[in-house]
Amino acid sequence: MSIRHGLLVLLSRGPRHGYQLRGEFEASTGATWPLNIGQVYTTLARMERDGLVEPGESDEQGRVVYTITAAGRAELGRWFSTPVVQSDRPRDELVIKLAMAVTAKEVDVAEVIRTQRTATMRALQQLTRAKRAVTEGVAQRLVLDSMIFRAEAEQRWLDHCEAVLKEER
Amino acid sequence: MTLVRLAEVARVHGEGATAVPALKGVSLEVGAGELVAVMGPSGSGKSTLLNLAGGLDRPTSGTVHIGGQDLATVRDLAALRRRSVGYVFQDLNLIASLTAAENVMLPRELDGVRSRLAREEAMAVLTEIDVAYLADRFPDELSGGQRQRVAIARALVGERRLLLADEATGALDTRTGDEIMQVLRARCDAGAAVLLVTHEPRYAAWADRVVFLRDGMITDSTSESLVSAR
Repeated sequence: MSIRHGLLVLLSRGPRHGYQLRGEFEASTGATWPLNIGQVYTTLARMERDGLVEPGESDEQGRVVYTITAAGRAELGRWFSTPVVQSDRPRDELVIKLAMAVTAKEVDVAEVIRTQRTATMRALQQLTRAKRAVTEGVAQRLVLDSMIFRAEAEQRWLDHCEAVLKEER
Repeated sequence: MTLVRLAEVARVHGEGATAVPALKGVSLEVGAGELVAVMGPSGSGKSTLLNLAGGLDRPTSGTVHIGGQDLATVRDLAALRRRSVGYVFQDLNLIASLTAAENVMLPRELDGVRSRLAREEAMAVLTEIDVAYLADRFPDELSGGQRQRVAIARALVGERRLLLADEATGALDTRTGDEIMQVLRARCDAGAAVLLVTHEPRYAAWADRVVFLRDGMITDSTSESLVSAR
């Protein structure tokens, strides 16, 4: 995923300047992806170069308002219709750590699992608190839900590891 | 205020060669306003723990206090349970021939409360959790989530402030499950104590404290405030 697609989505709803884009981007991702204004303007400049957006007049405060182009809309259509590939995601350190713990004979794997499980549960509690605090904004809630499902999957996998290793012993 | 306290509780099922230890020295407290979740695989002792905390069973050794009363000194456990403890189970056992309101009234009527007052209390608690409009429906006219809400209302009716839930979100989809957790959480924030047994991490995460049960022992907890982690 790129910031550029996120910004294109916001621009597809109407012309906006950089600060507006930053605020709306953060609101729709549940503040889980903070942007600095430099990133926003760098991305806009690249998209302008690629013909996806057009700068317009400056407003009274000197801020340039950007508009999405037809090419920008086409790019957005392509993005939404293309599924995300698993291999595009980075490797998971926890998975590697556990595999290595099993390989290295002297490591207490059960303890590694236990420590991780408690830490993951604390993270899950924090996410749930954050979700309860969201009073409006379905997008925000769904972003948090995604993180909750992911943490939950990790927790289940840890339980699974524990059960399998218990049998092996 | 502590509403339930287990101290070094052990429970052995059976005797002699066939004895099976279900719990091996568990200490746990749940205070007013607190939601505690117990997680563990099947066979870890979750249900035994819940039964002991709710006075449905007595420990082999150790002590259980409910609302300050030592269970060992209580003769009529059934009466203590009706007065102090509410239960929400996965197979929630609403009585099919009674309406939602009548189901909620039942524990109060068993306590000897007159049916008019019992009905007022039932309506009050149904209103509190936003299901007063379901009062006159029968269980088979309710969705899974609605039935679970009625079961929670029944668990809370009257003066009871300790609520024990066993896989209360069991058969529900995740969105409805979240709504049920919202109700339990709100009850806690209003001063109830909830002890929830679940194997689903996403629901355990609504708790203030999550304890992990393995082979009859508490092996870990997300909070340091636990009296004894072992």
